[in-house]
Amino acid sequence: MSSNFVNEELFTKFQEYFDHEQELRDNVRQITRQIELASKKADTKLQLIHSSVDKERIASVCAEVRRDYFTECVEGFKNLAEIIPPGQFYRYNDHWNFTTQKLIFIIGLTVYLETDGDLVTREQAAETLGLKCSQAEGFHLDIEDYLLGILQMASELTRFATNSVTLGDYNRALKISKFLADLNSGFRCLNLKNDAIRKRYDGLKYEIKKIEGIRYDISIRGLIPANGNEN
Amino acid sequence: MSTEELLKEFGKYAKELDTKHDRYERIIKISRDVTIESKRIIFLLHTIDPNKNNFEKVLNEAKDRLNKVCLTSFKSIAKELSDLDQYQYLKAFAPGLQEFIESYTYYEYCSSASNPENGQQMCSWEDLQKKLTYESEEGKKTYVLVEPLEFILGVGDLTGELMRKCINSLGSGDVSSSFNIANSLKSFYTCYKGLNVHNRELGRKIQTLRNSLLKTDNVSYNIKIRSEEAVKLGKTFDPREVLEEINAPKDEHVDEGFF
Repeated sequence: MSSNFVNEELFTKFQEYFDHEQELRDNVRQITRQIELASKKADTKLQLIHSSVDKERIASVCAEVRRDYFTECVEGFKNLAEIIPPGQFYRYNDHWNFTTQKLIFIIGLTVYLETDGDLVTREQAAETLGLKCSQAEGFHLDIEDYLLGILQMASELTRFATNSVTLGDYNRALKISKFLADLNSGFRCLNLKNDAIRKRYDGLKYEIKKIEGIRYDISIRGLIPANGNEN
Repeated sequence: MSTEELLKEFGKYAKELDTKHDRYERIIKISRDVTIESKRIIFLLHTIDPNKNNFEKVLNEAKDRLNKVCLTSFKSIAKELSDLDQYQYLKAFAPGLQEFIESYTYYEYCSSASNPENGQQMCSWEDLQKKLTYESEEGKKTYVLVEPLEFILGVGDLTGELMRKCINSLGSGDVSSSFNIANSLKSFYTCYKGLNVHNRELGRKIQTLRNSLLKTDNVSYNIKIRSEEAVKLGKTFDPREVLEEINAPKDEHVDEGFF
């Protein structure tokens, strides 16, 4: 009687379902690796900012990063968007969310350097990667990935401020200090749960403390340029 | 970008995050209701007792309550998820869904066992998906995703209930039920063993299933030994002796709480 109850076929079907999913995941991993490689290269290029204040060189690095690496990422995300079935973004996104965050950090830094102090908005960042802004439109830039990427950028900027001082560009350090303060008030608008963003945001407070220390160091020695101009 | 513009941008982000968190919390709350009601339905189904001949009454009540869960709680979840990526909120409703699958398939088992000639096979996730798909008057379709992995995990929990039923049946003297359940568990174990799927939660469930299986194997063994012995001694076989032998109190009902 009820031994017929067990539906063995169901398990065979489930195995097929699972195998199919694994296959897709393998493909996703392959594409993600390419994007990751491009982001790594871009990150390495941008290390220049820590050892040079030459504006032209920095500008040319930014252009290079955009041309060589961001375009490659756009290609990668396009490929991902093609293989992820609609409505299943969040089934697979743990394969690429860290990479996306890192890219947001790199894009954020590039935009900051190019515009001399602007924060990349989510829309701009999404556009740079060829992504949509909202879930309804399809393959998109998740809001949390964006925010986490911005927080990563904040710690890089603190380092940038330290090294700018070393290289004698005090004005730069002051600008970064103002930027991080603005960013901090931005993040304060968010009602954070006890999640990854909260953890990274707690880190931002230390970055701000550190940069206030830098400010203090240069102002007590009378190194603050008059009217925000160098010299 | 000025400070004001930046704050305006972040205001937008805050709104989006809040919407997401709020929805997540609401779904968790509904999912909890589903869990509680499912556990109660399972408890109800455990009150089936051939000595009281209450099959029909209990099964009907369980069926009504299961349907009600589909038409209230799950419908609300479906409404929350309408047009959204179900996987984004899967973690919020998976616990309730699993518990519901457990109670639903347990209902199916009891129903199938009460009808020896015409025993039904358990449903598939597609069958259940149909039950959790809704259409509004305007023809708009909403649903709660019955993710196959969650279904397989829910059925894993079912095996625990079957083990309990197997032991309880002994207490009410229903030896053939115990035997049948023990056999079903063997089939389930074979199916689960055959899966080549790496998932931590599934691994745990299979381990639990193995422990249940050891208990029911032991029950079958003792029934056999005791009944043979009774025949030899010219006594009538009382399955309750087996209960004493395997040292499991009749009313043992260990569950994860909630009652």
